[in-house]
Amino acid sequence: MISLEHVTKLYGTVIGVNDVTVDLGAGAHGLLGPNGAGKTTLLGLVTGQLRPTMGRVTVLGAPPFGNPRVLARIGYCPASDLGERRATAREWVTYLVRLSGRHPREARLRADRALEQVGLGAAARRPLGTLSKGTRQRAKLAGAIAHDPDLLVLDEPFVGLDPVARHDLVSLVRGWAGSRSLLVASHLLHEIEALDAGLAVILGGRLVASGDAREIRDLVDAVPAEVRIACDDPRRMAQALCGSGLADSLRFEGRDGLVVGTHRPRDVAELVAATAHDAGIVTSRITAGDQTLEGVFDRLVQLHRGVGP
Amino acid sequence: MSAVTGIAAVARFQLRRLVTPQRLTLGLVGAAFPAALVLAVRRIEPEIDRNVLVALIYALIPEAVCMLGLLVSMCPAVADELERGTWPHVVVRPRGRRSLLVGTFIAAVAWTAGIAMVALALALAAAGLGGSPGLAAMFAALIILSCLGRAALFALPAVIVPKRALVASVGVAVVVEYLAGFLPAVVNQLTVSLRLRSMLVDWMAWRRVLPAEFRLIIDDRPPWMQIAALLLLAATLLVVATLILERRQFPPSAES
Repeated sequence: MISLEHVTKLYGTVIGVNDVTVDLGAGAHGLLGPNGAGKTTLLGLVTGQLRPTMGRVTVLGAPPFGNPRVLARIGYCPASDLGERRATAREWVTYLVRLSGRHPREARLRADRALEQVGLGAAARRPLGTLSKGTRQRAKLAGAIAHDPDLLVLDEPFVGLDPVARHDLVSLVRGWAGSRSLLVASHLLHEIEALDAGLAVILGGRLVASGDAREIRDLVDAVPAEVRIACDDPRRMAQALCGSGLADSLRFEGRDGLVVGTHRPRDVAELVAATAHDAGIVTSRITAGDQTLEGVFDRLVQLHRGVGP
Repeated sequence: MSAVTGIAAVARFQLRRLVTPQRLTLGLVGAAFPAALVLAVRRIEPEIDRNVLVALIYALIPEAVCMLGLLVSMCPAVADELERGTWPHVVVRPRGRRSLLVGTFIAAVAWTAGIAMVALALALAAAGLGGSPGLAAMFAALIILSCLGRAALFALPAVIVPKRALVASVGVAVVVEYLAGFLPAVVNQLTVSLRLRSMLVDWMAWRRVLPAEFRLIIDDRPPWMQIAALLLLAATLLVVATLILERRQFPPSAES
């Protein structure tokens, strides 16, 4: 469905996407990466807004840039807020459907159906400028699905939504993914996990991992995490850790610091607590490795580069 | 069929954007300006020659009002979409870029020509020339042709330098239309102003009475050839602008 072969996108001297090769079949896929990782650029390439500087992008069997046949089968919901203010949600969605080549009457029918699907209801007849950001987000999504595309591409679709709206839209998008293809970009792992989607992880314009959520977690777990310990006798603590077989690596930091590389950070923390209690070592701090998404990315990058902690 | 539907959709949508109370007020103030100027001139010079009034109305409406109207409506064709965040919604549609440019062109011509027609009616009344349907028809034709030619001309800066389109278009207007257009050389054949001037001179039967030095900045060919040349120039400019826009790419950071 989506194929990128050694795709690089440069903006002058700035790299948007760097030598990405990935094949995404039909179904749901998540594109995960922190802000500035290159997700929007990659989606721009997939949706025909951008042309690769190097490499080849194929979507639904053909390059999308300037290709009306491919574009007619793609629905896209960008991350940026809609600055259109005077038009009502219905007018806006009808306009987009007409731009997809449908006649006015059919466009209105499709727009009404899509607005109903996203739960906009009566708000569809209000100017976009008077709607909340979450409601505008629904209108954007309606615009992306109203022409009935085969591939729906969403860029940070749940940003700015309250929990109820988020739940509704996740359900809607998940329902969509049941019958057609979906590519969702997000910087939040749980959003992608909620969609039961396959994952591609992008960082610094490079694809650092791809697979399903379980594969990514296994991959992350395969990279040793770092546990930092601050205590008054790091040498005795190191001795205890060496004997346990939990530590893959050990190094001292300053006079009271110890850094442990391990695949089992939770067990290390428990052992440190027990050793501190039994041996009377005053331990002032135990910090587990960075468990945020940023930390996961860092570890994936380390794995990608063949560097361990 | 899909291309025509898309163009019609953009033209309709852009016209709705242009027809706002603020823009209409601004447009009507602009439309009243030539009439006010004509009244002021007639007050100073009550016995002013009819031909001078016609020349004044020509300079004020098919030239100035049309030019200003198009600067407002045609120049932001792409910049507006980037600023409103609607650009990615439009360009992912089949032939969305082409529809955007041609649709905006149609809307800009319709809106500007509408304002210019109001300005013409007011100015002719102010000049005491309201009872000349032939004169009104001539100016109406010049207004429409001016809008078609200038909108196509401003389409180029709109797609090449969208965020500086207004400044670039003023530059193009000054350098191309009012500098190159008045050069007695081959280059003035590529300007809208030469075609409009030549038609005005021909339709007003001024050719015989025109001083020799003025003949240098007028084309001798008949009006139908001037119209054909102007339409060909506009079509060429619009096709070139469309081809450029079909290849334009904006980094995500440019959409804000």
